[in-house]
Amino acid sequence: MSIFKMTRRVWLANLSAMTAGLMSLGMPTVAAAQDDVVLGALRFTSHGAGFVAYERGYFEEEGLNVKFEFFQAAQPIAVATASGDVDFGVTGVTGGLMNLAEKNALRIVAGVLHEKAGVDGMIVLASNKAYEEGLTSIDDMPGHSLAMTQVGSTFHYMTSRIADEKGWDIADIKLVPLQKVGSMVAALKSGQVDMMIMVPHIAKALAADGAAQQIGKLNDYVEYQISTMITSVENIENNPDVVKRFIRAYSKGIADMNAGLLDPNADPSEKEALTKILHKYVYTDQPYEKAAPSIQNGAMFLNEGAALNKTDVEKQMNWFVDSGLVDSDLTVDQLVDSTFVETN
Amino acid sequence: MADVTNHVDKNGANPVAAPHERPVYFRGGGFRTEPRRFVGLAVFAILLIIWEVGSRTGVISELVLPAPSQAFAAFMELVNSGNLQKHVGASLQRLTIGFSAGSLLGLVVGTAIGLSSYARAGLSPLVSAIFPIPKIALLPLFIIWFGIGEGSKVATILFGCFFPTVIATYGGIDSVDRTLIRMGQSFGLSRWEIVRKIVLPAALPAILSGMRISASIAIILLVAAEMIGAEYGIGAYVLLAGNLMSTDQLIAGVAILSMLGLIVSWLITRAEKAFLGWRN
Amino acid sequence: MDLRVDGLSHWYSDLEVLRDINLTIPQGQIVCVIGPSGCGKSTLLRLLGGLEQPTQGQVTQVGEPPVGSLNPLTYVFQDFALLPWRSVEDNVSLVLERHNLSKAEKEDRISDVLTRTRLSDFRKAVPKQLSGGMKQRVAIARALSVNPAVLLMDEPLSALDSQTRELLMDDLIDLWTREQFTSCYITHNLAEAVRLGHKVVVLSRRPGVVREVVDIDIPLANRRMSDPRIAEIQQDLWDMMREEAQTADLELAP
Ligand SMILES: Nc1ncnc2c1ncn2[C@@H]1O[C@H](COP(=O)(O)OP(=O)(O)OP(=O)(O)O)[C@@H](O)[C@H]1O
Ligand SMILES: [Mg+2]
Repeated sequence: MSIFKMTRRVWLANLSAMTAGLMSLGMPTVAAAQDDVVLGALRFTSHGAGFVAYERGYFEEEGLNVKFEFFQAAQPIAVATASGDVDFGVTGVTGGLMNLAEKNALRIVAGVLHEKAGVDGMIVLASNKAYEEGLTSIDDMPGHSLAMTQVGSTFHYMTSRIADEKGWDIADIKLVPLQKVGSMVAALKSGQVDMMIMVPHIAKALAADGAAQQIGKLNDYVEYQISTMITSVENIENNPDVVKRFIRAYSKGIADMNAGLLDPNADPSEKEALTKILHKYVYTDQPYEKAAPSIQNGAMFLNEGAALNKTDVEKQMNWFVDSGLVDSDLTVDQLVDSTFVETN
Repeated sequence: MADVTNHVDKNGANPVAAPHERPVYFRGGGFRTEPRRFVGLAVFAILLIIWEVGSRTGVISELVLPAPSQAFAAFMELVNSGNLQKHVGASLQRLTIGFSAGSLLGLVVGTAIGLSSYARAGLSPLVSAIFPIPKIALLPLFIIWFGIGEGSKVATILFGCFFPTVIATYGGIDSVDRTLIRMGQSFGLSRWEIVRKIVLPAALPAILSGMRISASIAIILLVAAEMIGAEYGIGAYVLLAGNLMSTDQLIAGVAILSMLGLIVSWLITRAEKAFLGWRN
Repeated sequence: MDLRVDGLSHWYSDLEVLRDINLTIPQGQIVCVIGPSGCGKSTLLRLLGGLEQPTQGQVTQVGEPPVGSLNPLTYVFQDFALLPWRSVEDNVSLVLERHNLSKAEKEDRISDVLTRTRLSDFRKAVPKQLSGGMKQRVAIARALSVNPAVLLMDEPLSALDSQTRELLMDDLIDLWTREQFTSCYITHNLAEAVRLGHKVVVLSRRPGVVREVVDIDIPLANRRMSDPRIAEIQQDLWDMMREEAQTADLELAP
């Protein structure tokens, strides 16, 4: 997904219409055959619906031959989708994603991960030092520093949403961009920053080790669309049928995940079966017994039927535009193609 | 030879022709570069024009590479917003402190390794072991050691400049003509005088070319250094542009970095002219 | 001040270089040392000036160095050993800097030695701009500036072409005629030895022992190559050297 790869792809596409045609996935005329599709994913439980759909044959039923391409971070997935190196990706609604949409390279076609009160979600952590000095609840946040990956990241957005809900000025929270989750954790552990917002499986582990203190949960204050399914504009225009079938299969994976891992009344054997499937992809370097709790800790609410909260995506988009991080030319219809799933 | 002569005889009008004469071919020359003004500038301009035309006609898609004019617009936006000074100022401060401190320390340690058998035996393996470690890999540790303020940023650059200077310095000292040192001793110069007046000036060409390298490394590491909680800085600007996929800003930022590189290189050339004039 | 060598032997680990050398360099004389290549001439000179420690025996200074001598035992090197980044005057000044001389005295010494070596017009030049002969004159000027008791010269002319060598030899003779400096002068050029030496010490092949000491009592200023006495001494020296040189030439270098 390097720039170089992207360059080569697009150059080829521009040089010859013929090869461009061959490069796009599958050809509509041979729909009966299996279509080859590449899904870009992170090795997180929150990406598990794709693994389940694959392992349980939902993709195959739709005539899709899916291959996974694994990434270390969400941002490159968007770039790789824009360049055509992967066909579908699950990634946060970030400024980078919006700028790629503004260049008509890709669009959001479905919802995947949603913050929802009462379900596991993003956790707000305080450093031990700050906690001892009185930072014990969300209400104490103003006047403290908060680690995030980058300006324009989902962490940045989440913080601004909390500030909005609470009626604070975002400038009262000192945002510290550290680029990498590893650096964020290092800074929080050593007390160089006071707070961070973190995905549940990492946050719970830190809190359990006593390396940091949980002071709140994001979805107690904000419910919003965290991550979405994206695909390239080329796929939407040339292979809408493949997109439709892909989302249908993926939704079945979502349904299984929500029913098996989030529902408190879930059948334990189904929970174990799902955990075993996920263990093929997530925490593979740990034995099952050790990995299982981490995997289950990582489960978050997934949008049933891959439904998309378009209203919220638009809200997010407006925040990015207002913050000057995204070109103001971007419209919500450029960012979202709502023809594939239910939207609200 | 006989054959050739016969051949000439058959065709020539005069069988006892005058001895065959011909000018000696010139076969020397070349293999030496001479300054050619404006060629570099022309290559640069031609590339820019091709790039701009390619972008305007759509041969180069906007996704692949923004047009130079777009990058320039992003740059002007930066100028007009007044943020350029803040970014450049923050970066220059880090570069200057990190580079000076790293070079100075490198000079001291390199001189020690160059002159003392114990320092060489003890430190040079250490230098070889630590030099190749990518400093970016150590960022989380740097955060813990030096904090998220200026400390870790300067330290990243300092570390980057330190090792090439050490190696250049002791390499330079190794190649100092020993008879000069012998001469100093024979006139009863003190050890410190020999180091200061003979060894270091003689090693200066090597030290300066080491600095040329470490200055470039400093600029390369600027982006890494500014990964750590930097609000302003050209590296931070480039990172943000990359994260936001704002390729026009990215190109503008990269262009500023390469301008910085050109300026540093020019300064070092000036320093070489000033200090090493005796070589020509 | 004289320089006396008593029972001097020197080894480089297993390699015996010099064996039982006894020698005096009397004040006001030039002692030339000749010998086949690799016999230890340069080593002897380093031992004389204290740049190396002898394995056995010792070198003694007899009498006091002249008043105002800053560096009694001073070398002139074969390859000049000038600092290329310093001008002529700064190269001389280098060896005066640590002696806390007043600015005026330093300046006096510099202009004095540059005049004596006819370099006054080239004070500001850097070594690169000078011919080989001029460079060696700078080195000699530098050596003279510290007012040495004994000048230790290791083949000072061998890096120069033959015309320059002749001219510089004349310069050295003039200089000696004026101020009778004391010197140990290493050379492998017999013509130099017979022109400059009050004494010529012939070393054998390695390990070097003193094979012969030849006194030449013709005043330096009067020696001409056409003089049959000079030619005869040179021939004698060559006869002595030939055999040593031939044998040395057949030996493998260590
Ligand atoms: N520092 C040293 N360590 C070991 N061996 C040495 C050293 N210096 C000189 N030698 C050896 O000692 C011998 C005498 O060397 P020296 O340089 O004194 O000879 P020389 O008479 O000056 O020769 P030349 O006429 O070539 O100048 C040589 O065989 C040389 O290889
Ligand atoms: Mg020698």
